[in-house]
Amino acid sequence: MASMFSSSKFSDSLTVVGVSLCSAVICEAISWILIYRTSSYKSLRSSIDKASRKLESMKTTTDSLKLTTKKSKTKKMDRVETSLKESSRDLFFFKFKSGAVVAIVLIVVFGLLNSLFEGKPVAKLPFTPIWIVKSMSHRGLQGSDLTDCSMAFLYFLCSISIRTNLQKFLGFAPPRGAANPGLFPMPDQKTS
Amino acid sequence: MKESKSGNPKSSLKQLQNNENASPFTYSKLLDPEADWDKDQLGDVLHWIRQVVGLFCGLFCGAVPLVGGIWVLAFLALSSGIIYGYYSLILKVDEEDFGGHGALLQEGLFASLTLFLLCWILAYSLAHF
Repeated sequence: MASMFSSSKFSDSLTVVGVSLCSAVICEAISWILIYRTSSYKSLRSSIDKASRKLESMKTTTDSLKLTTKKSKTKKMDRVETSLKESSRDLFFFKFKSGAVVAIVLIVVFGLLNSLFEGKPVAKLPFTPIWIVKSMSHRGLQGSDLTDCSMAFLYFLCSISIRTNLQKFLGFAPPRGAANPGLFPMPDQKTS
Repeated sequence: MKESKSGNPKSSLKQLQNNENASPFTYSKLLDPEADWDKDQLGDVLHWIRQVVGLFCGLFCGAVPLVGGIWVLAFLALSSGIIYGYYSLILKVDEEDFGGHGALLQEGLFASLTLFLLCWILAYSLAHF
């Protein structure tokens, strides 16, 4: 079976998958060293989990309360929500700074693969890609056969599927309660 | 009316308190409609179910082979149907306690779609060319 795959016209796809898997493991190792093992990350994650659970329980009990109690409960909820947003923002910036190293590794790996497989289809698509996908799936390839798959698209699929599941498996996935504040977080109207 | 574990705010609160004290994960919980689920536990289980479905569907589609973009839609429908059937009919959880149908159905959706595409493309390319 191994010889059947190695003699296949598109055996280079296995090289792309293998390199992608290795780079995902290396990136997660770097992330663990720079981010996940630090006490700052652990305390931020813990506070986000606690705040989101507290907010959920407060939302559930608010509906059945009297009006005066409801108002003070709503104020408490706003405070918890603000605290959750601040912790999420801190977590985002904390990971963003350390993530620059991971980004450099990914760029280097992509450049290496690009130099190896530029202009060469590494796989065959079993479907005709739509216009959004076509620009990536046919990137750098000659000819008009849109079912030829470039390294970029295969690497993209590998990155998303392998890294996401690896993070999930290792327990490094972001907490569900954390909202992504983006690079330009808006000030909280309730505290101003 | 759909049979549900919680039908009013008081029972929702009780469910939430159960979630906070939810029992640690064991494989026996996977088929137990009486088990108490933590939001994170249930989300993780649904995520991994989707990944397994994506893996097998991708390999199957590539091996046969099934060709055409319609199979992407078929996969999305099939995997979502499996997830819905699992938490609704087997586990019998009240989706309101876990963020609604949308939150449960989107667990692992994008990752499973990319995994499906990856397996489909690889199996198709390696087995038929």
